[in-house]
Amino acid sequence: MYQVIAMYATVFFVFLLALAFAFVYGESKRSGEYSAIQERGYKIRKFYFLGLIAIMAFATIMTLGRLPYDRNQAEAEGIIETKVVKVTGIQYAWEMSEERFEVGDKVQFDVTASDVTHGFGLYNEKMELVAQTQAMPEYTNTVYYTFEEPGTYQILCLEYCSTGHHVMVKEIVVEPEGGASDE
Amino acid sequence: MNEAIHPLARKAVIWHLAVTALVIILMMIFGVIMLMNQGEMISITPQWFYKIMTAHGTGMVGIAALGGTAILWYFLSKYVKLNPAILIVNFVLFLSGVTMVLISIFVFDFSDGWTFLYPLPAQSAKMYGAAGAVFFLSGMLILGIGFLLLYMYLAARLTAVYGGLGKALGWDIIFRGKKGYGPPAAVVATAMVIITNSTALLAGATVLAASLVNIINPAITIDPLLAKHLTYAFGHIFANCTIYMAVIAVYEVLSEYTKRPWKANKVFLIAWNCSTLFTLMIYTHHLLMDFAVPKWMLIIGQVFSYANGLPVMVVTAYGALMIVYRSRMKWDFASSLFFLSMFGWVAGAIPAIIDATIVVNHVMHNTKWVPGHFHTYMGMGVVAMIIGFMYYFNKTEGNQQHRGIDTFTIALYFAFFTGLVGSFLYAGGISAPRRWAEHLPQWVLSDQVGAVSGIFIVLAAIIFTARFFAGLRSVGTNVPYNKNSAAG
Repeated sequence: MYQVIAMYATVFFVFLLALAFAFVYGESKRSGEYSAIQERGYKIRKFYFLGLIAIMAFATIMTLGRLPYDRNQAEAEGIIETKVVKVTGIQYAWEMSEERFEVGDKVQFDVTASDVTHGFGLYNEKMELVAQTQAMPEYTNTVYYTFEEPGTYQILCLEYCSTGHHVMVKEIVVEPEGGASDE
Repeated sequence: MNEAIHPLARKAVIWHLAVTALVIILMMIFGVIMLMNQGEMISITPQWFYKIMTAHGTGMVGIAALGGTAILWYFLSKYVKLNPAILIVNFVLFLSGVTMVLISIFVFDFSDGWTFLYPLPAQSAKMYGAAGAVFFLSGMLILGIGFLLLYMYLAARLTAVYGGLGKALGWDIIFRGKKGYGPPAAVVATAMVIITNSTALLAGATVLAASLVNIINPAITIDPLLAKHLTYAFGHIFANCTIYMAVIAVYEVLSEYTKRPWKANKVFLIAWNCSTLFTLMIYTHHLLMDFAVPKWMLIIGQVFSYANGLPVMVVTAYGALMIVYRSRMKWDFASSLFFLSMFGWVAGAIPAIIDATIVVNHVMHNTKWVPGHFHTYMGMGVVAMIIGFMYYFNKTEGNQQHRGIDTFTIALYFAFFTGLVGSFLYAGGISAPRRWAEHLPQWVLSDQVGAVSGIFIVLAAIIFTARFFAGLRSVGTNVPYNKNSAAG
């Protein structure tokens, strides 16, 4: 969802920006008295500034309540873990205390690394990045995720960790609720 | 005060620009090779991919800093008498550092990325030998020392002429109610860069030295999270400051072309002071996925990354639009590129700000969205400013004229750069990771679009560079830099 919002928002704002530059370029062929232009420009700038502040404040309010960091937040969103999974990154593999999950599992991934810094990136079956945290030696970063769809998920390394970085992939299976079907 | 640039400094600026132009082309070719490999158009080994990636990142940031320094020195010389020996010392140390970095990569196979994230160099040293990591880290250290010496000298000169960095940033106008305008934009920007880049370089020197010590004696370690803070305090600020140096040309040249003053009024000074503060703080947006960092620090990373967009959006880019509006400005190579570079700066800031939103970063950090935004900022912002300055320099110091091919090349460069960054941002939107030597089939098309765009960008850069070198032949035939110069 956030990827789509990010793409549309970028296209929208860059388009507005391009319009502003194109307009000024078109107007650059005319002449005007600069002090009058400045006076008018500064008035418009106040509204422009307030508009930007409003957009930024709106984005801040809408997003800071949904931070992926702490247990309180996870509990508030109902992601109280049913499974605690220890994840360790090591060049170039992921070691996990558990690899099979069911739809509905609320998982707490405790992520660390034993050699260098890696990036724990959880991808769903459509290869969309759905959650991530850094895997760093001497630290444990906890990320929460609830599996809502069955399928083969993958964990990709998202922090450059030397020449095998791109092969540092692990598949995990999320079965339908109630366990694997016999069909 | 208007001084003419010292003849030796003029020569040194030419050396800076010549090296910058050639290295940019080489680094662009490296970028195209990586995209072609990801796009399955060619095949290189992962080892070579990551070596090229390390050279590309280090080279592009380094050369943008070198080009930015040439701009800063050239225009600051109008207002402050500068000793060209310092610029030359920095140039020599830069070349020495770059040589060591190249040796580390292409002789000793160092491939840990330009961010050399601790403890990766030590780990690589165990596997591939210490020489590569030691050459790379030492080279970066020497390069940093050169810039630090330059900033210390500039700080001393601004203190001598303006009474301190605070006054150079207009604090007496902002805080003490002094009437009138602050120092010229070149001075304000220089003061900002001195403060932020010196901090960055000290952070960088600390983590570089710690990494070197760790390689030599593995028993001596540093906290990896602290090392990461220091690395990004160095890398983010240093890369960010390239545009704060290069933008000096935009202030100076658009003001000259439009025959309108671009003075440092109170709002301008407040904006630059905010940029100084925010640039120092917002590197934490690189650590948004390090959940061990205190939450308040990460929220600062989001909020101040938003705020850092305001000075450029509301003051600098808006000022550029206002000064050009109904000015009957002559559109030539320099004015076109400087105008477009302001578009590139803000266009690059937009996806950066969006990615600094923690919930977005959670699903886009370290995807190709990130190179998407900084290639916009660097390629369509910083590099456009540097190329624009090359033409301006030749025109002012020599007699280079705008030709039809220049219009064509600018259009070629910006059209295909839009294609390149569009391919990166799209790839980030579909979750393609950055810094992967090989890509899954669903990501390959975006890589191919990027690679083809990159080929045309290289073509445009070659034409720009050929025009620059051709124009250099006339440098020295024109009257000195400032026609009204008291010293000239």
